[in-house]
Amino acid sequence: MTPNSATSAAPSRRSFLASTAVAAAVVAGGVPLLSACGGSQEGRKEGTTSGKDAQKLLPTFVASNVVAPDLPAKNGAPAGFTKAIATADLKTSVPKKLGSGGKLKVMSPFWGTPPKGDNPYYTAMNEAVGVEVTWQNQDGVTYDQKLGAVLASSDIPDVVVVPGWNLMGKIPSAINAKFADLGPYLSGDKVKDYPNLAAVPTEAWQRGIFGGQLRAVPMPGSYVTDIAPMYRKDLFEKKGYSVPTSPDEFLSWAKEATDAKSKVWACDDMKWTAFNIFSVFPGSDKALWWNLVDGKLVNRIETEEYLEALEWVRKLYAADVVHPDAVSGKAGGDSRNRFTAGQSLVFNGNISAWWGSVTEQRAQKPDFDMAAFDIFGPDGGDPSLWAVQPANIFTFISKKATAQQIKDFLALCNYCAAPYGTKEFMLTAYGVEGTDYDVKKGLPVKTTQGVNEVNGAYDYTGNPAPYTAYPDLPDVTKGMVEWMQRMGAFTKKTSFFGLTITEPNRWSNLADNFEQLEDDVVRGRKKVSDVQQAVSDWKSKGGDGLRDWYKKLLDDNGSAN
Amino acid sequence: MSHSTVPRPRAEAKTPASAPEASEGAPGDRAPGGRRSGKLSLRLRLRRDRTLLLMVLPAVLLILVFNYIPILGNVVAFQDYDPYLSENGVVAIFQSPWVGFEQFERIFADSAFWHAVQNTFVLFFLQLILFFPIPILLALLINSVVRPRVRAIAQAVMYLPHFFSWVLVVTVFMQIFGGAGVIAQTLRQHGVEGFDLMTNPETFKYLVTAEMIWKDAGWGIIVFLAALSSVSGDLYEAAAMDGAGRWRRMWHITLPALRPVIALLLVLRVGDALTVGFEQLLLQRQAVGVDASDVLDTYVWWNGIRNQDFGYAAAAGLIKGVVGLALVLTANKVAHLMGEQGVYKK
Repeated sequence: MTPNSATSAAPSRRSFLASTAVAAAVVAGGVPLLSACGGSQEGRKEGTTSGKDAQKLLPTFVASNVVAPDLPAKNGAPAGFTKAIATADLKTSVPKKLGSGGKLKVMSPFWGTPPKGDNPYYTAMNEAVGVEVTWQNQDGVTYDQKLGAVLASSDIPDVVVVPGWNLMGKIPSAINAKFADLGPYLSGDKVKDYPNLAAVPTEAWQRGIFGGQLRAVPMPGSYVTDIAPMYRKDLFEKKGYSVPTSPDEFLSWAKEATDAKSKVWACDDMKWTAFNIFSVFPGSDKALWWNLVDGKLVNRIETEEYLEALEWVRKLYAADVVHPDAVSGKAGGDSRNRFTAGQSLVFNGNISAWWGSVTEQRAQKPDFDMAAFDIFGPDGGDPSLWAVQPANIFTFISKKATAQQIKDFLALCNYCAAPYGTKEFMLTAYGVEGTDYDVKKGLPVKTTQGVNEVNGAYDYTGNPAPYTAYPDLPDVTKGMVEWMQRMGAFTKKTSFFGLTITEPNRWSNLADNFEQLEDDVVRGRKKVSDVQQAVSDWKSKGGDGLRDWYKKLLDDNGSAN
Repeated sequence: MSHSTVPRPRAEAKTPASAPEASEGAPGDRAPGGRRSGKLSLRLRLRRDRTLLLMVLPAVLLILVFNYIPILGNVVAFQDYDPYLSENGVVAIFQSPWVGFEQFERIFADSAFWHAVQNTFVLFFLQLILFFPIPILLALLINSVVRPRVRAIAQAVMYLPHFFSWVLVVTVFMQIFGGAGVIAQTLRQHGVEGFDLMTNPETFKYLVTAEMIWKDAGWGIIVFLAALSSVSGDLYEAAAMDGAGRWRRMWHITLPALRPVIALLLVLRVGDALTVGFEQLLLQRQAVGVDASDVLDTYVWWNGIRNQDFGYAAAAGLIKGVVGLALVLTANKVAHLMGEQGVYKK
């Protein structure tokens, strides 16, 4: 959640992916979600590392206080910055160039069109960091398809970005096999060589431990869900609707608001919001699927809540209040476009779409207004929410890299992890002043060149603690942060929160097809009883074994809550 | 397609005696080591054909490297293959544990696999009945157009959709036949609710075939047009002189001329029966659900690439390959029985 592409039509890619898989899956249209973990056979670690073992690996935390946020971090929500900082007041967080002038090839996902390699922004970044970066950008939506093939080859790029929702099947074992241990450079006080990385929260670093070693530079994110139900405030006011406060109320409102003749439907696919309403354990990371209930580990797919959530969404579909293109899923196009076009009045997606849509729409429609409504409980009232992982995009460096290359990589990450209010942040997020952005009325505004060039390349190579900063729309920033604060107050943690867990190989593909089963059920093509059947198959094919395996892990490591 | 392609080089090469009966000579020639019964030795034949052999060599190498050597990779179907066991995915094959037929047992026990098989065959037969004749009809139609300008324009219009990507084709269909498409909205204005062809699993197979016809039927006429252009105009004139009408000319001249091409394409199509579309189906997977849209190719992709279950997907692919081979051999046999050349002849 950064003002990374303040004037861009597209939502900031950085924010777009800020913390969970769900975000991208929903917004980008069904990025495969089920992050199965692969295991190990010969000496490669399966399981996890926590407690004392993790303490030895984790970097020391040294807070950075460059600019006090206008909305301090609270209830797990990110810190909010609503004011722009004048160029003259920007601080310096990287006083000395840390890069050695070496070269790095970086493979990372990209949403949109990557700019040409030799643009002024990249040149300025390379110069400032002291590392010559060559990008190998791949389409973010189909990144999982490339990733497996690249990692299976013998020639992998120096640096590889791996989103958490791509940790499917055997990718985790690829990570343990192919990427370098950063422990010798970062563990304990060693991280102090890289002050911006030292300010990355410890719980994010904890997620960077793969196969018993600190391998990843994580992208920190808020643990509060950022999948928000967003509604067209302008249209609600015009029609005199009040925001629904319970599932039943939502359904009856939806029936009233749908006017298919005029091409208006009440909502888009609400599955991810339903999971939050009915308090289903998070679906973004395999380990979060489990939680200890009355002394027994229970998987999200085994819970009543899971079935109730699916049943409710099914009712929405059956009542024909969901936009027909949403029924088609991926082939139907982007849910946000239907929302901004006024064809649907409510949709769920990453909350950063709030800022993205408002900036994009206000140019043509000054009256455009939207907001996120608070998630309610199954009977109305307060919800009971579950925390998502505090970091879910990881950046690795190849085992074949030299010590100098690893140091250059960390120099790059340290630079990009500069917090709001620094010169480094402005260069990373806005580009070169006068070329990529101009300051107008005290606000940085990207030029056309800036929109095309400064559009997300450096989003994953280092990030500061979670924050939301859109000085161009202070109200939206405030709305987003406060929504997360309110939701944060109802958020609890499941048993394996914060841990990166590698499941044994033999069970890693067990739950791969539940997501498409969910989609079939809510659209009425399969019955809830089919889910129950799939769950009992899952149990007999290894689900119970996996439960015992997780239980042992919990007994050995202790719980997060 | 021609009977004489195999023997002709030999006929030119100093063995005039065997030329007329080339089809008998050919099997003897193929036996390595050379027979003594008056045939040339292998060495002599190599020397005689060296220019030709050299010319074939690059193609053979390409086929070896890209088609035959990768076949060896099918061994992972019998393993719990993990490409990350080693730095090199090929080396990892040697380190992966051997599981015998376990992957095949898993596949045969998977109801999703049988759905995919069923869908594959249903789509194949639908395409055969609904799609296959259309290019022939179109070719006859185009062939009957006399004015070259009209003909060129008609052909261009028919070819064009072939160059659209599947994403575009599906979107166009969506805009017309979808739940918020032109037809659905028009019907709604007149009080009829619920028209949505794009998300109906029952009619999905027809939808897919319709999309395919729209996209590729025009492209399919090229081969038939070429065959038609080789029919001598004299035949038509002579038939017309004898009083044959339009239909009789088509029945007795045009269609017999097309027969070998139709038979060949039919055999090829049957051999390709298990390949009924990939991108098109993957795109619409969510719209109608897996049970309606999964075919063998998407099943293999989903399990192999998406779920990284390599051994399992390789086993499914192997099954597809074996069934496909059986089908092409059968189809070829049938073509021979019908007196056609088919893809190859013994």
